[in-house]
Amino acid sequence: MIQPEISENIKSVADMKTGDTAFITSVGDDCIDVHCHCLRLMELGFTPGQEVSVVAKSPFKDPVAVSVRGTIIALRKSEAECIKIN
Amino acid sequence: MALNVKEKDCHTDTLKNISKENNLPVVALVGMPNSGKTTLFNTLTGSNFKTSNYPGATVEYSIGKLVNKYSFAAYIMDSPGIISLNPGSPDEDVTVDGIFNHPKFGMPDVVIVSCDATQLSRQLFLVKQVIDAGFKAIVALTMNDLLDKKELEVNVKKLSEILGTPVVKINSSTKQGIDELIKYSQELHLSDKSPDFKSSIHKPAIPSIDDVAKMYDYTEATEREVIEHKNNKLDLDEINKKSFHSLSRTPDKNSLKLDKVFLHPLWGIIIFIISMGIIFTSIFWIAQPMMDLIDAGFSNLSALVSDSLPADTWYNSLITNGIINGFGSVMIFVPQIVILFILLGLLEDTGYLARAAMLIDKPLSKFGLNGRSFIPMLSGYACAIPAMMAARTISNRRERFLTIMIIPLMSCSARLPVYAMLLAFVVPPDKPWIAGIGLGALYLFSLISGAVTAGIISKFKKTEEKSTFMLELPPYRMPVFRHIFKNTYYKALVYVKQAGPIIILFSLLLWALTYFPNVDPVIPAEKTAGMTDEQISRVIESERLNTSYAATVGKNVFEPVLKPLGWDWRIGVSLISAFAAREIFVSAMAITFNITESEDDEDNFQQSILSSMKDAKSPDGTKPLFTTASTIALIIYFMFAMQCLSTVAVARKETGSWKIPLMQIGLYTVMAYVLAFVTYRGLNLLGVQ
Repeated sequence: MIQPEISENIKSVADMKTGDTAFITSVGDDCIDVHCHCLRLMELGFTPGQEVSVVAKSPFKDPVAVSVRGTIIALRKSEAECIKIN
Repeated sequence: MALNVKEKDCHTDTLKNISKENNLPVVALVGMPNSGKTTLFNTLTGSNFKTSNYPGATVEYSIGKLVNKYSFAAYIMDSPGIISLNPGSPDEDVTVDGIFNHPKFGMPDVVIVSCDATQLSRQLFLVKQVIDAGFKAIVALTMNDLLDKKELEVNVKKLSEILGTPVVKINSSTKQGIDELIKYSQELHLSDKSPDFKSSIHKPAIPSIDDVAKMYDYTEATEREVIEHKNNKLDLDEINKKSFHSLSRTPDKNSLKLDKVFLHPLWGIIIFIISMGIIFTSIFWIAQPMMDLIDAGFSNLSALVSDSLPADTWYNSLITNGIINGFGSVMIFVPQIVILFILLGLLEDTGYLARAAMLIDKPLSKFGLNGRSFIPMLSGYACAIPAMMAARTISNRRERFLTIMIIPLMSCSARLPVYAMLLAFVVPPDKPWIAGIGLGALYLFSLISGAVTAGIISKFKKTEEKSTFMLELPPYRMPVFRHIFKNTYYKALVYVKQAGPIIILFSLLLWALTYFPNVDPVIPAEKTAGMTDEQISRVIESERLNTSYAATVGKNVFEPVLKPLGWDWRIGVSLISAFAAREIFVSAMAITFNITESEDDEDNFQQSILSSMKDAKSPDGTKPLFTTASTIALIIYFMFAMQCLSTVAVARKETGSWKIPLMQIGLYTVMAYVLAFVTYRGLNLLGVQ
């Protein structure tokens, strides 16, 4: 389990700005919730090592449109938080 | 998950009697959402397909026969798009089960997996799962034209060798590769006719996160092997070295450019409002002339039949008032449904629908809804029936049910004639613009009341199932009009078939209640002295209604209940009539208050109904029945009451149980009554009579 003060320094897709590009380091490492959708995020193509970039954000900053593996997927911020980046 | 237990039982029931016509082989189409699967289905089946719900659930399957020109006679089964064979929601569970063992068609003999060539590493995930499950699989590579734009192509031979299954590049619009695809399907089907191969087919276990990562290692390696540069045959590593981004993993360039506009914080919202405004207005203004035409057609037919049959007979009345009017009230909604589904089809096919859902997700999530709830809610302003059907796109069960729950509160077009009549009564004739503002306010208020109701229900009903959005934004594409029209045609047909019988049955029941038992009322001769034949027949009609079963029930049951609202039994009977369809309220009022003008003459009808409303006296006979307060109370009642049997029937069908429709009837009737009461008494207290 990662300590809260450390995990604050770990960035996720939710922290990215429009146009930013990054590589995924891990998915759902600090998810405790059994009902979390990390497995589905992985299946959608958000796997460690993949390059992602934020294509657009909705006017309310949530959801965000993220490009991965040749497609664009809209994610809520809460879902984007599961995807950690370097 | 409780639902699945029931679902599984349902499987075992039907498993025993898999009765396929002629024992034709079944070819199932499986693929991720937006992988071109439905387009391929349309191409393979031509126009002979049928869309049906999976028994007991809302998962929609389309079954068709392969077009005749191919020598291979087979069923083609289209299943909803899935991300993987590991279900993520109750509905996906049903979908995946259906691929392995469809209750009617059993296990497919051959599976065609559609695979978007522009996102190979992602889409091969499902391909690999289907192959590993043991199916006889063929890969249909789609979107090759988009890959072509990046000057890349897939080496089909290599991919086929790696996967160990046939791979065919197809293009549904030019029909390229379709012949080959069918040839392979047939060969594969004939290759091993023993039924044994099916017994080895198994559903994969739920993978761990590591399993998924390993699977992606495989698909990435495969992608590197098979993607080649179009002209100089460089392999992918070389291509990636030359370009800044990994070229095979970059989304469609045009889509990225268009999204800068369509998802722009300011322009995105403006475009969203304009496009939704166009949908909203065309549902009304484009449909109106067609609806008027249908209305006039049925009125003329009714008059024609009435003239050619003996007057004043029960069967004349049955055919004209019961049957023809019943059919008319079914058909009147067809134009709106057709327009709505054409526009929705356009939005969906171009790729904008997913963006619209993304733009509106945040505000709707505050009320426990989802971005995908927006289109069903908007459609609810036309008619709750297609709206509930449109709610199928919401993957989260809870959010879909919540959306279906509040759809009846949206101010559907059947309320429009009712509001128009009642507002015309309340508003001074020299200030018609007040009625316009009033109507606008009613529409806005219905949206607010829907959102608030959803918010309250989701507060009270906590859930374990976490809300998700995760929606792929497909590349922008030109829509295929042929498919949109075909789809719209089937949607309209489903409406006529499902809602039609209920509406017609209810019109017949209602006709009987208002016609019997006093079929030939005896009128004392002195009452009719000096009257013309026409006036006499009016008196007879009025007497018959006032002594009918409906009137008896109305006087004894409804009047005590409705009196606190300032209404009498005649309004009660009209409200009951309006259960067939809300706009029937207007014509029911005309009958119960005995208006003899023909409905064809718009002004006269409106005038005569208004004047007889003014003349109507309250039950004790001392003051007018329709006051400003009681009429506004009636408007409020119509905003909330679940006054539509067809909606009840469709809600039952779409949710798979009676729970939601019964809740809707109970909750909304109570809300309607209480709010109408508060309005009436409140206005009285403020001095408005």
